[in-house]
Amino acid sequence: MAARITSQLSKLTLLSSSSSVCLPPLSRSYYVYKDPNYKHFRPNFAFKRKHYIPKFKKARSLKVIKLDLPNLNEKSVEEMTPDEIRAKMKEKGIQPVRPWQEKPVYVASTSGTFEAYVPPEGDGKLSATSKAGAKQKFQFLEKKGKSMIAIRKIRQYDEDFDPKVFAEEAQKIYIETHEALADFDKVRLHQNVTERAYPLVTHQSRQKTIRWQFLGSLAPPHVVHARCTELLNKENVFAQVTVRFHTKQTLAVYDRFGRLQHGSEVVARDVLEYVVFEKHVASSYGTWRIHDKIIPDWMPPRQPILKTYRFEDIEPEVKTTPDDKESKEVEVATVTQNQSASPAYA
Amino acid sequence: MAASISRILGLHTLESCASRVSVSLANKRSLTSVTAQPVPQSAGLLTVRENFERCNFHTSSAMCWERPHGPRNWLKYNERKFPPTPLGEEERPAFVCHLKKNIKYSPSKMWYVASLVRGLRIDDAINQLKFVHKKGSVAARETLEEARDLAVKDHNVEFPSNLWVSESFVGKGMVIRGFRRHARSRFGKVEYKYCHYFVTLEEGEPPEHYYPHRRPLTPQEMLQEWIDNQRQRTITRSL
Repeated sequence: MAARITSQLSKLTLLSSSSSVCLPPLSRSYYVYKDPNYKHFRPNFAFKRKHYIPKFKKARSLKVIKLDLPNLNEKSVEEMTPDEIRAKMKEKGIQPVRPWQEKPVYVASTSGTFEAYVPPEGDGKLSATSKAGAKQKFQFLEKKGKSMIAIRKIRQYDEDFDPKVFAEEAQKIYIETHEALADFDKVRLHQNVTERAYPLVTHQSRQKTIRWQFLGSLAPPHVVHARCTELLNKENVFAQVTVRFHTKQTLAVYDRFGRLQHGSEVVARDVLEYVVFEKHVASSYGTWRIHDKIIPDWMPPRQPILKTYRFEDIEPEVKTTPDDKESKEVEVATVTQNQSASPAYA
Repeated sequence: MAASISRILGLHTLESCASRVSVSLANKRSLTSVTAQPVPQSAGLLTVRENFERCNFHTSSAMCWERPHGPRNWLKYNERKFPPTPLGEEERPAFVCHLKKNIKYSPSKMWYVASLVRGLRIDDAINQLKFVHKKGSVAARETLEEARDLAVKDHNVEFPSNLWVSESFVGKGMVIRGFRRHARSRFGKVEYKYCHYFVTLEEGEPPEHYYPHRRPLTPQEMLQEWIDNQRQRTITRSL
């Protein structure tokens, strides 16, 4: 009792800390909430989403067995890099696939146009019967040395090759290609179009209805250019011949829902095109097929689609080196149109 | 439980589940996959694992392991081609179907989000979903935005705002079953649910009432209804 009184008295004095009197330790007859060694979880009945005493939180969480849920929206195999695929397969414990390369590769067409023809500017704008048109001389194929060498080389393999006859055949192939594209007849398309040109010709043409009509030629088709290339071997010769077409056509493209998207079925347009035909002359099974189209810089732009669209502003990647600032090859403009619905052949 | 998980997820090894069931399953697999090649024993890595799968069917690494694929037929509606509209008839409105697969959310909870968006204009729908405090609203919003971009890019839709949500519904996805213990050695099951969200956007103006049977009646219709009800009255047990 004396101890209790002294402890109470010491609490009353302000200078209890500086007192020289040493008090005995207090006996704990009731819990001391200020003691840091004792942790008390005060119940919180107000927050209803959790248990009101957080004391046994850990034990409660152990009641539920934690599962590793799979990530179902991970990248598909096509989008993964080879390193990621390797890591994934290691994780799953799958051995890598044995590379079985038994498929033969057959090169049936070249990857581009070799020594492309450069059409003269102002071609097709003036009528040949007018004074100005007559002045604009048409350069005969006989005067072009390299083309004649190429034609002679073609005649080595194909004796009956005549540029004038070939121009008519080329027009037939040209018409058949367009008709096959309108029907989307893959068999006929592959017969008339090379592998390299097939994706370009059929670009944006799926799920669309194309109605194309050939009305007539404004000028007879001419062979303007010819070249021969060799792939891998000196004997493996591919011949590329450029034919100039100046024709009247109608083109109407309907979208997936049957709405007119581009062109018109009634209004005819004059089309001037330089089409490159290719043939694998070294092989006896080679045929003349459309390989490429030459679009000169002076050609007016294509007819736009009937609807308005937003132009994607992609800045051209200009690689500026101090020497080549003026050269055109350095600028790589990658401007793409959002709604360019017209096929490659406009 | 471990066996069901392996079947559903198509895992070839069951290292994650350290249970006796998994070991017996793995042994079964080693018998079926007979390989003539010697096992490459790299320093300690594969010595512990005796069972590994060899891809005998595929000639490339693509799809060497199974993955649960979601619904595949919904997107085929985007490949339907219609003939050109004949003269005099109205033009068909453009539509685009889109989906989001395997959303980690319960389909019954996702239903509320899907129902909110039905029949709204695309901009209104997206704006509403921004302020919905549900987990599924994020997935729904992403689906709508992707669908809008696709419509403009691939389906010849002129204005991205000229679209409305004509169909919006949820499908049940995978369900992984787990369990938890309760007091007094009682057990309860825990279901981890996935869902798929499907959406169709159509070009043009939305209809005034998406559910015509639930629209508010005009005064004339209400009057007619009242009159009909009055006329249907009969006096019981009368002649």
